Amino acid sequence: MTAETAPVRPESPGALIRRRNLSIGDPLLGWGVRLLSWLALAAILLMLVDTALHSAKLLQHESILDFLFGLSWEPASTIYGAVPFVYGTVVTSILALVLAVPLALGAALLVNEYLPTRVAAPIAYGIELLAAVPSVVYGFWGIVVLVPVLRSFEQAVSGSPAGGLPILSGPVPGPSYFVAGVILAVMILPIVTSVARDAIRATPRLQREGALALGATHWETIKHVVLPFARGGIFAGVILGLSRAIGETIAVLFVIGNQPQVNASIFAPGYSLPSVIAGEFAEANQPFHSEALIALGVVLFLISFAVNLAARRVVARFEQRAGGADVR
Amino acid sequence: MFAERTLRSTSAGRRGRDRLVLILCAGAGAVALLPLVLVLFYLLFEGLKAWSPAFLVSPPGGITSKSGGAMNAILGTLEMTGLGLAIATPVGLAVALYVVEYREGRLAVIVRTAVDLVAGIPSIVIGLFVYSLVVITMGHFSGYAGAIALSLVMVPIIARTSEEMFKIVPRSMREGTMALAMPRWRAITAVYIPTVAAGIVTGIVLAVSRAVGETAPLLFTALGSNFVVTDMNQPMSALPLYMFQNALNIGFPAARERAWAAALTLVAIVLIFNILGRWLAGRTALQGR
Repeated sequence: MTAETAPVRPESPGALIRRRNLSIGDPLLGWGVRLLSWLALAAILLMLVDTALHSAKLLQHESILDFLFGLSWEPASTIYGAVPFVYGTVVTSILALVLAVPLALGAALLVNEYLPTRVAAPIAYGIELLAAVPSVVYGFWGIVVLVPVLRSFEQAVSGSPAGGLPILSGPVPGPSYFVAGVILAVMILPIVTSVARDAIRATPRLQREGALALGATHWETIKHVVLPFARGGIFAGVILGLSRAIGETIAVLFVIGNQPQVNASIFAPGYSLPSVIAGEFAEANQPFHSEALIALGVVLFLISFAVNLAARRVVARFEQRAGGADVR
Repeated sequence: MFAERTLRSTSAGRRGRDRLVLILCAGAGAVALLPLVLVLFYLLFEGLKAWSPAFLVSPPGGITSKSGGAMNAILGTLEMTGLGLAIATPVGLAVALYVVEYREGRLAVIVRTAVDLVAGIPSIVIGLFVYSLVVITMGHFSGYAGAIALSLVMVPIIARTSEEMFKIVPRSMREGTMALAMPRWRAITAVYIPTVAAGIVTGIVLAVSRAVGETAPLLFTALGSNFVVTDMNQPMSALPLYMFQNALNIGFPAARERAWAAALTLVAIVLIFNILGRWLAGRTALQGR
């Protein structure tokens, strides 16, 4: 054994230090890393400033209030108001959350609480694969398959007594806020489910066993122990899903109907911030049209920035709490 | 069993509610899986009808023409994703090293925050950024602009995964390199990076799987092209763009078929990368513990 050990070659500390100083590896890697990082930072800042300046040219044409609170968008008469798109983004995102959150929560509980791992793992995997499908594929699938199916549903609802309500009223052309909300719900389902699952999994085993030992049924344990504990994490998942829904472009473009209007009915066609940029930018030939679209991009950026900031706050608070619970 | 019989058992109402929730959750799980099943079914059913190996290597035809493949799009995707990756990998790794290993005060925090910011930006806005900075400066749409946009999509993913990986390099290993008086660059290149290489590769693979499917950042950077272009200084097509443009013309049966064929190709590529990435991630998670 000892015979096989490599011979130790003693080196004087001085030789070691000299060799370290001579090597160019350290400054090379160090400065490479620094320069690339600073370059990335500079590029990001430059792009932010450049885009902001570019959009600011719109101010030569109309005031910022006219833009932000303008109800109509008529490029042909160079009237640019952002409200129809902000409205569309808000309505479709809310619809997406309303549809996706209960499903995600139910699926997360099913996978984590009820099913044995052997059955649960493929289901969880399948739901996560939904996130990998490119949005252009969802959009195309949406217009070919989903719009005709949902149109008959929309017709049935708006034809029933419920259609008397303004938000459910006809006419029903097919593409609408509602279809966009359904597609968005499918697209955000994986992220909400997977974050909710992480939160549910973090519930301390002792608390859960305590509830069961007191005679609680499985559902009572979930209701009184698991859900209160996981609330923060589930909320974080919801906000992450919201942030996805707000920025989704191509899939929404296919199914929202592309009408720059504010309509109370969710079955009416509309437009959203990202989808109008994608839909009109290539043909923006009116004066200030492309500047107005870039300004919409800035509005979208600010909204998603605010949501992401909120998401990070919530996630941080949740992680703190989960960390605290682990110690106990 | 014994306890249940002797003690007063759970009331029918409570047991019923328990059962009801189970049924609701099972329903939610089934509905959640439904879109995946439907999307895959239509992709295979419609896609396989329209797809043939020739689709991959034929130059595109007109909107109405029956023939025509996606060679331009596949070349464009290869070139732009390749160049984007060649930019994003060193930058992403550098950011991760800067944040975890070099940690130079406030600047590292700022770099990290900026990269996180980009991760949260809708990809259409990334397209606008690159349009405003690169396309307007160059004066025309190009494959280069598309590659830069894709690299912006990939950098945060690569930086984030690598950062997590460098953080799990075991303390004992760090102390070992110090005990051996290894210079920092040797420790990083010969010890840390090989240790977490699989994790870094996972990040790269997932970044590619994301970038390959992105349409929005390419719309006003690479623009798309109906010709087989290899010069990246020209407007270029990519698979998602190709699919997008054909899908907008679903009134024409030929365009519709091409859109399905492109969709099948695209989803196959993305899923392969995604599954590969997850598989790698699963392996590293085991190694990391």
